[in-house]
Amino acid sequence: MDVLTRLAHFFAPLTHYVAYILAYLFESIFLVIFVTIVLVFMIYLFRKYMARVQLRIGPNRVGKFGLLQLMADGLKLAGKESILPKGRDDLPFRIAPLIVFIGLVMSFAILPYGDFYWIGSLTITHSNVSVILLFAAIAIMPIGEILAGVSSRNKYAILGALRGVAKDVSFEVPMMISVIALVMMASARTSEPLNLSDLVSSQIIPFGIPEVIGLLVFFISMIARASYSPFDMGESDSELVSGHSTEYSGMRFGMFYMGLFGSIFLSSMMVSLLYLGGYNGPFSSDAGFVYLLIKTVVLVLIAFTVWLSVPRIRIDRFVNMGWKYLLPISIINLIIAGIITLGVGL
Amino acid sequence: MIQEEQKNEHREWTELNMGPQHPSTHGVLRLKVKLDGETVKEVEPIIGYLHRNAEKICELDYYCDSLIYFDRMDYVAAMNMEVGYLEAAEKLLNIPPPERAQWIRVIMAELGRIAAHLVWAGAFGLDLGMLSPFFYCFVQREKILRIFTEICGSRQETNYMSIGGVYQDINENIIYMIEEFTKEFPDKLEEIFNAFVKNDIFMSRNKGIGILEPDVAIQYAVTGPMLRASGIEYDVRKAEPYLVYDKLNFDIPVSYKKDNLARFLVRFEEMRQSVRIVKQAIKKIPDGPYFNPKAKKSLMIRLRGEGEVYARTESPKGEFGVYLVGDGGVKPYRVRVRSPSLRNLSVIRHLGKDVLIADLIAISGTIDLVFGEVDR
Repeated sequence: MDVLTRLAHFFAPLTHYVAYILAYLFESIFLVIFVTIVLVFMIYLFRKYMARVQLRIGPNRVGKFGLLQLMADGLKLAGKESILPKGRDDLPFRIAPLIVFIGLVMSFAILPYGDFYWIGSLTITHSNVSVILLFAAIAIMPIGEILAGVSSRNKYAILGALRGVAKDVSFEVPMMISVIALVMMASARTSEPLNLSDLVSSQIIPFGIPEVIGLLVFFISMIARASYSPFDMGESDSELVSGHSTEYSGMRFGMFYMGLFGSIFLSSMMVSLLYLGGYNGPFSSDAGFVYLLIKTVVLVLIAFTVWLSVPRIRIDRFVNMGWKYLLPISIINLIIAGIITLGVGL
Repeated sequence: MIQEEQKNEHREWTELNMGPQHPSTHGVLRLKVKLDGETVKEVEPIIGYLHRNAEKICELDYYCDSLIYFDRMDYVAAMNMEVGYLEAAEKLLNIPPPERAQWIRVIMAELGRIAAHLVWAGAFGLDLGMLSPFFYCFVQREKILRIFTEICGSRQETNYMSIGGVYQDINENIIYMIEEFTKEFPDKLEEIFNAFVKNDIFMSRNKGIGILEPDVAIQYAVTGPMLRASGIEYDVRKAEPYLVYDKLNFDIPVSYKKDNLARFLVRFEEMRQSVRIVKQAIKKIPDGPYFNPKAKKSLMIRLRGEGEVYARTESPKGEFGVYLVGDGGVKPYRVRVRSPSLRNLSVIRHLGKDVLIADLIAISGTIDLVFGEVDR
């Protein structure tokens, strides 16, 4: 029994439809709370980790070990005046950060989370084509970033947005091809390979082992999706001030900031679900969510290490890399997946 | 062909102002950039945002008082600026510093050179998007600043040297600190060095980017590591030795690759050579007075100079020249500073043509600008 059914049972005295609407409403609220907690945890982890890497201490003043620092920062951001530039395109400028944030939350809603002891399955959306839904949802976030860049009437922002478009175009094709390879692999074992839950459950051996190339391509694409170093040309602070979010301040800026960290967590979770077995673990199957979180946090730390240690790649070199290296090797990976699926039948 | 050229003429270029409050520009550099998409077509550096009229103020002050304005020119290498000014002032006033003071000055100048290059290396990493090496560099620089604090009580604007010697003798404690530093630092320097050069992205961002031909460098009067990275072996310490540099054994690093990476490697090699100099100097330093009694404190403001002198020294940025004219009074008639960063900056017009924005930032990073010195 999952959370949704429990909630629907709880609201059962009302009519069927009202009960389900309320259940979905409450589950969405839980989801937003979960995403917020994740973001706070991520930003705290990042600041502490960055400080350790850089021989510093990190936040340690507000609360024990600086745990409340994020609250203080959030309050500061919320209390700041939101400056609107003159000559902006008003509506897109206002909704762009919302699009980024909504895209993030939507992507989290589609992921399968596995079981968690007495609560049961935490998965929210049950769909036969959730793989397609997921990649449609994460494609929403760049729209917000591009809108922000174009609507704020700032040359840095426009340049950042254009770089973002060039970047997205060049990594999304290899990313999708490596996902297709996964679906092929899964189709040998399950009748619904486009269902994320089935895709994850069918990984008796994590797909990352037979599909090392796919894992590599997908991980690189996910770095580019979350756009941190080395692929942060879109908002490269030493060249374009901060790219598409240059003109934003206050809570609107905070949403872009949360979008960045949220997409790091999201992409780590996607890598661990699609390639590392997700919520499959060695012992109790009740603890699926815990396995998923452990894998995700390890991937997040790897992502932070990459972020903190490499310089930014140039945009033209990245586009080259996307089309000349990532695309061919992802096609090779697809062929390998086909051979494995037909020949070995993993 | 002609039609194409005409087309290009009429094409509109985006004009972008980078700075003076841009996160990439060092200090208050303003680059007026004309862009064609991502490609930089023209770049014009605009300076003057940190102009403090230091030369004129020096003309209104006694010879001994001008030193603090030199501290604030290249504020990351204050010791080298002091050496530069005192070379000229002591020549004009005819008060040679005693032997021991000269050795101390060499040690301090070389430590200052290391400190300045470390700041440059960290900032260059930030320009390329590397967040962490900045802190590794600053941890090492902090050790040098501790030595400076111990020696004169100040970290950056040291005001340590004075006409006729140095303000205070170095004691055993300081010698111990410097020895410890020279023992530990080379390993740490290699660590920092490896953090940069063992990174493929770093190499791809710098190899073959920003090529400065030697004849262009000479036309623009480029000096210092930038010139030496273009394959011209010119260092004032060797070409025209001042202080006691002729008694020391060190090499002038030269690279013939002429690109960003060459400038990076030359600066790192210079740090290694500076450590070598400090190691030798701390052993060879002779006993004796550290101050010329002709310039003791009560007489300091009565020093009169007549004639004109020009003294050049090798600052971390390049050839730092000070031109002094005395009319027999207690204040100089004219003070003029040849600042290396200004000349090195002017070459960005040439280097920044037809490169990408990202490369322009990297190139301006390798120039090593300190705006206190460019604008004075």
